[in-house]
Amino acid sequence: MPSPPPDWVKALKPSEPQGSDLLAQERAQSNVDVEKLSEYLHTKPALERQKKMLSLLQPDKVFDKSQNHSLGRVERLKRSLAKAKRLQILAEQEKWSMEELHTANDLIGEPTPYGLHASMFLVTLREQSTPEQYKLFFERAQKYEIIGCYAQTELGHGSNVRGLETTATWDPEDKTFIINSPALTASKWWIGSLGRTANHAVVMAQLFVGGKNYGPHPFVVQIRDLETHQPLENVYVGDIGPKFGYNTMDNGFLLFNKLKIPHVNMLARFSCVDKETNKYVRPALPSLVYGTMTWVRSNIVLQAGGVLARGVTIAVRYTAVRRQFQDRDADPHSGETQVLNYKTVQIRLLPLLASMYALHFTGRGMMALYEANQSRMKAAATPGQSSRGAGPEELRAGAELLADLHATSCGLKALASTTAGEGLEVCRRACGGHGYSSYSGIGPFYSDYLPTLTWEGDNVMLSQQVARYLLKSARAVLSGKAADNDTSLILRKYLNRRDKGASFDILEEDADIVAAFAWRTAHQTFEALKHRDAEKRSWNSLLVDFWRLSTAHSQYLVVKNFYDAITSPAMTSSLDAETKTLMHSLFRLYALHTLEREAAEFFSSGAVTVRQITLTRTKAVMKLMDEIRPHAVRLVDAWAIPDWQLDSSLGRYDGKVYDDLFRRASQENPVNDLVFDPYPWNKAILKDESPKSKL
Amino acid sequence: MLDFTDKLRPSQPDGPTTLARERGQSSISTEELGRHLLSADGFLERQARILPIVQREPLLSKDKQQNLSRPERFKLGLARAKLLRRLVDKHQWSHEDYKMAEYLVSDVSPYFLHLEMFVTTVREQGSEAQRAHWMPLIDSWKIVGAYAQTELGHGSNVRGLELEARWDPATKEFILHSPTLTSSKWWNGSLGRIANHAIVVAQLLLPKRDAPFEYVSHGPNPFIVQVRDMDTHLPLDGVVVGDIGPKYGYITMDNAYMLFNNFRIPHSAMLSRYSSVDPETGIYTKPEQPATVYGSLTYVRAQIVHHARLVLARAVTVAVRYTAIRRQFKDRDGDGSGSELSVLDYPTVQIRILPLLATTFALHYTGLAMRNIYENAREDIEQGNFYSLAYMHSMSSGLKSLCTMLAADGIETCRRALGGHGFGGGSGLIELNNDYLSKPTVEGDNWMITQQLSSWLIKKMASAVEAPTSPSHDEIEVRFKEFVQVKGAGRNSPLSGYLVLENDEAIVKSFELRATTLAYDAYEQRILKKRSWNSLLIQLHKLSKAQSQSILVGKFFEAMSTDSTLSPSLKDILLDLYRLFALYTMENEAYEFLRCGALSQSILDLIPARIEDLMRKIRPHAVKLVDSWMIPNYLLDSALGRYDGRVYEDLYNRAHRLNPLNRMTFNPNYWEDEIIKGSGDGGSSILSKL
Repeated sequence: MPSPPPDWVKALKPSEPQGSDLLAQERAQSNVDVEKLSEYLHTKPALERQKKMLSLLQPDKVFDKSQNHSLGRVERLKRSLAKAKRLQILAEQEKWSMEELHTANDLIGEPTPYGLHASMFLVTLREQSTPEQYKLFFERAQKYEIIGCYAQTELGHGSNVRGLETTATWDPEDKTFIINSPALTASKWWIGSLGRTANHAVVMAQLFVGGKNYGPHPFVVQIRDLETHQPLENVYVGDIGPKFGYNTMDNGFLLFNKLKIPHVNMLARFSCVDKETNKYVRPALPSLVYGTMTWVRSNIVLQAGGVLARGVTIAVRYTAVRRQFQDRDADPHSGETQVLNYKTVQIRLLPLLASMYALHFTGRGMMALYEANQSRMKAAATPGQSSRGAGPEELRAGAELLADLHATSCGLKALASTTAGEGLEVCRRACGGHGYSSYSGIGPFYSDYLPTLTWEGDNVMLSQQVARYLLKSARAVLSGKAADNDTSLILRKYLNRRDKGASFDILEEDADIVAAFAWRTAHQTFEALKHRDAEKRSWNSLLVDFWRLSTAHSQYLVVKNFYDAITSPAMTSSLDAETKTLMHSLFRLYALHTLEREAAEFFSSGAVTVRQITLTRTKAVMKLMDEIRPHAVRLVDAWAIPDWQLDSSLGRYDGKVYDDLFRRASQENPVNDLVFDPYPWNKAILKDESPKSKL
Repeated sequence: MLDFTDKLRPSQPDGPTTLARERGQSSISTEELGRHLLSADGFLERQARILPIVQREPLLSKDKQQNLSRPERFKLGLARAKLLRRLVDKHQWSHEDYKMAEYLVSDVSPYFLHLEMFVTTVREQGSEAQRAHWMPLIDSWKIVGAYAQTELGHGSNVRGLELEARWDPATKEFILHSPTLTSSKWWNGSLGRIANHAIVVAQLLLPKRDAPFEYVSHGPNPFIVQVRDMDTHLPLDGVVVGDIGPKYGYITMDNAYMLFNNFRIPHSAMLSRYSSVDPETGIYTKPEQPATVYGSLTYVRAQIVHHARLVLARAVTVAVRYTAIRRQFKDRDGDGSGSELSVLDYPTVQIRILPLLATTFALHYTGLAMRNIYENAREDIEQGNFYSLAYMHSMSSGLKSLCTMLAADGIETCRRALGGHGFGGGSGLIELNNDYLSKPTVEGDNWMITQQLSSWLIKKMASAVEAPTSPSHDEIEVRFKEFVQVKGAGRNSPLSGYLVLENDEAIVKSFELRATTLAYDAYEQRILKKRSWNSLLIQLHKLSKAQSQSILVGKFFEAMSTDSTLSPSLKDILLDLYRLFALYTMENEAYEFLRCGALSQSILDLIPARIEDLMRKIRPHAVKLVDSWMIPNYLLDSALGRYDGRVYEDLYNRAHRLNPLNRMTFNPNYWEDEIIKGSGDGGSSILSKL
């Protein structure tokens, strides 16, 4: 690394006022009890866990982050594997719980090549194995004796699982499955941990028995030799190359040339091929297969709030430290204005501050729903592999809840990940020029997060599932056979008042804001229903309407969840009065800012008037920003994201923005080790280097 | 190395078949449209001539560049920049030829600031003697320069710069000094590792006339300074300079930090065409016209706007071709037979991509118009008339903000419309996104600079209110005065909304009315109600956007109504693109159009259906329309956007053959430290580098 700067440089300080003083001032002007709010958001055990893991990981050299953004792809992947190994050793030594391992991964802040083994591979084996397979695969995988991944997506097919091209053909002669890739587009693609790391894969393939296609099914396939780690014969596997982000993960491709695997390798908890009769045995509970996906999506919603919080923490702290121009109306001798005082900066950051709280509370709501559903399903379905299943009524109750949860999780996953992903970019741009530096901590994190907007179902594709669910509910309401749930309720309310008009007092009444969001969703649902059922328009021609409908419905759910949270006894009893009032302001800012952005839809549905929108835009939102502004730094502090996790010069807790930017540029930047030859006619790139360099 | 994968082909229908069908279903002559868009100043001819030259240079192959570390990638960038400069000599290229080669290679050149801001500043702000001394050195590459204005603590606010240039009357020198860490120069391109000279902008400090030991600042002024030794290329004593580290993009640019410790430079270092210090008396002569300093900035902005169309066209080309080829799900209303639908046939994909396709054309006509305004303004300035500079500067700030935002967000929208493969290195949009996303903040942050246009519009409105019947100098004055007169006559809203679905000119009128109304509102708030500037910033941003959108729409329409060269069938399609761009923009800002009476609720309700209608009409021509931008495969560097549609073969080739990771075998067992199988390194090679 470059040699340290001369003394006269070391002696330099940033100009006054110092970032640390500015942040101290910020923290002094608000009474929000940061510790209490942190505990309310994350729980005390989670905060203690974070502290413990941080003290363990940060001093360990293998987890150093300083070179992350300067390294090439190959070097980054090598180091990431080294980190993953070290983590696993620590986990074993320290007997970490699942939560502790997750916390450690969050703190490290990059995906590692063990990522898909530890998540999808293990989860799939656990959930879809028979007891025999559980022993054979899951238990060995848990000990990392075999390392795996989950191979579903293909080069030619992503969202449409039924379109997968890889085949698994049952051979009744020798009782094996033949795994084959009939076309180049059948190549598995994007599969995390597959490229260089895994020696096994759960492969989703079209099952053919007796010439008949039974659709995609999961197979455990060994792909590399356990000794040499070379691909087995008739397996072709590798890493797919550099990406926008996620470069510490070896996303892979995988092709098979009529590879034979034994009968036991088809994961057979829910469906199998009978070895004796060569018959396909139908799934007992097909809906359970979607359980994993729903769980993953719920998790994405919960995490979205935290992801956004990272960007907002950095941007709020930095714009409080950064100063630019004097106020045009102020006394010319006053200093420059903190950037966060500009309304054009507030309107970008403060609604995002509100959004991260909104998403957090919504995520919590969804997880609660998921767990409620799980216990209901568990109660309904008999444990173990007994053939005597649950009674039909219990199953239907579970299935209805699952449909509701599935629709909710689709829409919210889309809205939450889009809000977080796009929010990070807004935060990065709000940091001005320095936001473009990797040391801002936002850019690289944004790049790693972006795939969340497309995986587990492309966000735009998912909106169709929400629309389908809402149309179905609307039809049920009209025929008087609706289930007793919130969706039916808002649709019925709308029908009852449709001819009288809405007249919600969104500027005064919090509950009316929720009602206005419900009204708009219901209005769009019945409009879509009219297009589809009465006007018989094609499904395809309605996709844009469905997309808008899904967004409207998900926004309603966020507003409702946020409202439920701030009026809940749990919050009322945990927070002091001032913080509670602020939570109400954040709720109103999130809701009214969203309403203003979607003004045309609210207006067209009759939920609000143009006058109300004008007042929202010019008065209410401005006033809320004024109320929240003094508390902005404390409200991000409460998220309790450690500096080491932020990995940002701009977002440091102590506000020493400029010192840290300069230190990294001058001391951690390998480019400054090199002396270049600048002249075009000298072919040598470096001074005193032979012209025949590696290039 | 042959293996069983070599004989595998993509499933049918494959890319080439699909694109052939797409091209067969449209009557557009890509040659005609291509010429219409790009033949001015010989662009197409030049592209055809330069492309084969750069393509045959192994150093300019883009195959593996995304895998490199920052130092390696920077080295490659410099090697390429050197080669390109040598090719200038070899082929006797003009500057335009060179720019074309740079555009095709698509690296941000580490020589960029030498070739642009450094030389431009010396030329425009150097005295005759200074130009005579420096220009030959620059033109012959005896020295390599950069431009150092922005500092660690100050960007947009140039007056807040902290670096000092203190005049020493005793030795008749300036002393450059960095008093704080925040006064470090920062972000200055080409300076981190490459330049040996720089234009350094510093606060000019001169002794007070009546108190010679007290200094007073005369604001930021440019100095030309040698910063590295010409022999060793190491920084001179008293200068600390280096690269600021990894960034979101611009990986091949050595953006710099730079500090001075009482570093002495001669009197002649201060560029003194417009302002100077008398070496005998130490008296400062003010610039005749301070506005001239903004001349080159305005030029840079005009360039950025003009370039935005090609940047966006690149992203849209990839998106249209790939989504035409990519298939996903069968039609729900179909009978279940037949193949899956082309992704581009989904309205949810169309509504993301086709308005952007229309935007490339909107950007094109405004870019052309801006270039004309700039040429006119230059002529005026050369004749000592600075009137049009103010107009030009204000328009350029609003348009730079809007157009770079449209292009930057457009790239990302296209990338996401590609689904999963958009995230891969084979999309061709990763580096484009990384590099282009600097644009919304460089040369004036997009949110800051919109104040310039808005404040200019408020002034214009104030004088329109003051003298509504005086003669007008430009179209804005005409429009504002008309508005004031109508308002004065008590007719608040001219009609119950323009008939934007029937009349193309009514669309322009409605955009103008909206912008004018917002200008009047801002005037009312600021001048009449004396609201604070800060409380109006959001409103001012919206005003700037409205005015700039009205220019985009107006210039597009103007080009369509004055053109006499296009064939009628092509013009019909371009008019549909015009309508799509305008109505799509209008729908997104519906509230503002409604409120000022430019649009009625009943017409607004019909717009979504009209947009879908227009998209249906444009859809069959989509591939031919992007073909007409004539972006070569080499520039696209995209498996997804290839002209021939061989998407999957190319993706596989990149993964399988061009990926260095696949030549190493990893050791996956966590209980073994070894990372590369058989290396026996016990992981030590990793740790030793930490």
